[in-house]
Amino acid sequence: MAFLIEIKVPDVGNVPNIEVLDVLIQPGEVVALEQTIAILETEKASIDLPSSAAGTIQEVFIKPGDKVSEGSLVATVLASTETAEAPKETPKAEAPAPKAETVAEKAPEQLAQPAAAVSTPELATRPTGAQIAHASPAVRLFARELGVDLSQLKTGSGRKGRITKDDVKNFVKKAMTEGLAQGGAGIPSIPAVDFSQFGDTEEQSLSKIKRMTGQNLTRVWLNLPMVTYHDEADMTELEAFRNALNSEKSAGDLKITGLVFIIKALVAAMQQFPQFNASLSADGEKLILKKYFNVGIAVDTPNGLVVPVLRDVNKKGLNELSAELAEKSEKARQGKLMPADMQGGCITISSLGGIGGTAFTPIVNAPEVAILGVTRAKMQPVWNGKEFVPRLMLPLDLTYDHRVIDGAEGARFMSVVKQYLGDIRRLLL
Amino acid sequence: MDANPKINESALHTEVLVLGGGPGGYTAAFRAADLGKQVVLVERYPVLGGVCLNVGCIPSKALLHVAQIVHEAEEFEQHGLSYGKPSFDLDKIRAWKESVSGSLNDGLARLVKQRKITLIQGTGKFTSPYTVEIQTEAGIKTVTFEQAIIAAGSHPTQIPVFPNDDPRLWNSTDALELKEIPKKLLIVGGGIIGLEMATVYHALGSEISVVELMDQIIPGCDKDLVTPLFRRIKKQYKNIWLETRVAGIESHKEGLKVSFEGKGAPDSALFDAVLVAVGRRPNGKLIDADSAGVTVNEMGFIPVDKQQRTNVPHIFAIGDIVGNPMLAHKATYEGKIAAEVAAGLKAGFDALTIPAVAYTDPEITWMGLTENQANEQGISYDKAVFPWAASGRSLSLGRKEGLTKILCDKETGRILGAGMVGPNAGELIAEAVLALEMGADAEDVSLSIHAHPMLSETFAFAAEMIAGTITDLYIKKD
Repeated sequence: MAFLIEIKVPDVGNVPNIEVLDVLIQPGEVVALEQTIAILETEKASIDLPSSAAGTIQEVFIKPGDKVSEGSLVATVLASTETAEAPKETPKAEAPAPKAETVAEKAPEQLAQPAAAVSTPELATRPTGAQIAHASPAVRLFARELGVDLSQLKTGSGRKGRITKDDVKNFVKKAMTEGLAQGGAGIPSIPAVDFSQFGDTEEQSLSKIKRMTGQNLTRVWLNLPMVTYHDEADMTELEAFRNALNSEKSAGDLKITGLVFIIKALVAAMQQFPQFNASLSADGEKLILKKYFNVGIAVDTPNGLVVPVLRDVNKKGLNELSAELAEKSEKARQGKLMPADMQGGCITISSLGGIGGTAFTPIVNAPEVAILGVTRAKMQPVWNGKEFVPRLMLPLDLTYDHRVIDGAEGARFMSVVKQYLGDIRRLLL
Repeated sequence: MDANPKINESALHTEVLVLGGGPGGYTAAFRAADLGKQVVLVERYPVLGGVCLNVGCIPSKALLHVAQIVHEAEEFEQHGLSYGKPSFDLDKIRAWKESVSGSLNDGLARLVKQRKITLIQGTGKFTSPYTVEIQTEAGIKTVTFEQAIIAAGSHPTQIPVFPNDDPRLWNSTDALELKEIPKKLLIVGGGIIGLEMATVYHALGSEISVVELMDQIIPGCDKDLVTPLFRRIKKQYKNIWLETRVAGIESHKEGLKVSFEGKGAPDSALFDAVLVAVGRRPNGKLIDADSAGVTVNEMGFIPVDKQQRTNVPHIFAIGDIVGNPMLAHKATYEGKIAAEVAAGLKAGFDALTIPAVAYTDPEITWMGLTENQANEQGISYDKAVFPWAASGRSLSLGRKEGLTKILCDKETGRILGAGMVGPNAGELIAEAVLALEMGADAEDVSLSIHAHPMLSETFAFAAEMIAGTITDLYIKKD
């Protein structure tokens, strides 16, 4: 009943040289219909390549870094009619099995039938040969007690890949420290709910970026003791200056945005407070101070959040930074950023100013130690000692890693940022 | 437990009730008690041990030992050892057989006491999901329980149209009673039980005929493993009729007149006794399981999950009553699982195989994948068969017909199945089971040093044949 199906790269819009980012299958693995088997990246987007068949992967023809195009052979799948029809069935049930009966009675197909072997469906459906986890009965019991699915271990450290008790322990430890997105670190996971009992639902896969971001954010959330400090900067003079600058420009010129000033002010403050331009060593014993000033800008894209990095901000002028910011933001939105464009940041700015808001608590982009959140500037009445005057006030939210930065330092840092934004002539000092 | 059991004041209450004191039942009771549970064990007979200990494995092995001594002495006449014709004191042999069972019975009774298990003798039936009524000599006793383990076993299959009241028509229990040695004994069913009893009565002097419906004796077992036994008993026994069924049995004064039909059917003939050994039926319908809401299928089996739970979560079932193979070693394994799950441990049926042994002469044993199954399921395999004719130990026993076979995964060399035939072959299967459970490759076995000269060496030799390292045989390379 088994037959071989070739999985090929589908039509992705006549794009040649699609890069293979990741291959998620290997020979012998059982895949379900529509299961993602590889991640391809075009210049525009990354694509999760779904399996067009259910069955056992026979051979894989691509590896990360390969260039493929429409019609390229990705893998062959040994499909059985049963799996093709019912891909959600547990794949092991398909495997041939040694029957345990000593008598010639046949295991029944259905429980309802009068059956000699009703009690031993497990035995009857047990896979043979290489498909069984290579683990002794004692290790299998140990895994059962801990709730470990041995098929996830693939190979163990024993002779010929035998899975030992230590392998099971290490797997659990690893799952607890790394599988955070799945609720690791001893944190109970959020129980699954069948939402369809309340009404119609639809499942949508998260983009790769979103999944990666999610894992990263969870890791940061669980590892960093974070404090968010809220303040407001007086942008009235700066805004006047910015408007003046922009009014000098001709129609096609790139306008300078407020964000560029914030970047400049932030870097100037970081030069005064070196602990903000630092990372904690992996063992948490040392602070690594950076002598370069790169600022990451969180950019919202259709695929998710990306953070392109502006390099050597301290050496660049407002115009140059404006141009670079515009270019990188555009690349980000088109999905054209290269990994190098997103590496080496010292601090990150997350600006919701274009949308609104009064305050929020951004999450530090670790191993950086701080992130500056920006919401929309608003004209507000400010008491100048004699009277209320209208001033353009910009809400700022600084989240920092409290292991590196004390509360007072955070407040002092922010007051310096505010000073620069309140009177940008100070940037010249 | 969704409801609190109603406690009848005159009733006995227990945490775990085990229904049936066979190997599965007493193992479950002992394990549950060792895990701190309060246990009531219900057994209908005055002695524990069930079919296995009283009318099955143990007494049959005792009698088979007698047969072995007779055969070995006989066969060594040609090599210069002669005791003369053996004589049998049936009463003494029977008493010895009973003493074997008896000492095991006593041992079990001690183990029950030591564990402070309440043993009730009587026939138990469910009256609700939390109660059983036990018909004892002293009247009806009610026991309420929090969890129950059904281990009520099986009974020999009776064929209704046969004259079952005739004392010359035996089942396996009758045959083990050793009342007399019939001159002509017909054995209906060429399976393990039938052939074991054939071995015994042949040694005691009966003229044996075997009739089997299928085209080989021990149906289901690979033919190459059966062949040495078949060749041997074909010479020893009067008749072995394959693909033949018994059409009818009539009681006559001078014997049981049996008529046959089928491929090799002979004319009807008279026998002094007929042993019907056509399998066993589960006792699922005898315990009023429906009163407890426990599902019993048409055949009388109780379906369970891999934690031995029936459809009623606090009631477990184990052993013959849950399905084939009906073997004591399967029941004890399941008994432990049921007791452990009842005690809150995370146990489950996780064994890769249940070994089978026919205590015939030669013995036949197998485990894991058989060639029959591999061929049916289209599994490709490597095979090695080591002939015992090349084993010094086997030759020194005066026997050379044995074989040791290993089936391995074609790619990984991992052991998938094994089988042996030969004197004492049953003892050899344990290593194969361990190898399978440990995920051993043929190479793992061939690289383990086996003592010489032993029959167990043949397993290593077969593994060497798979690995291509055998030196005790010369295998021509193509």
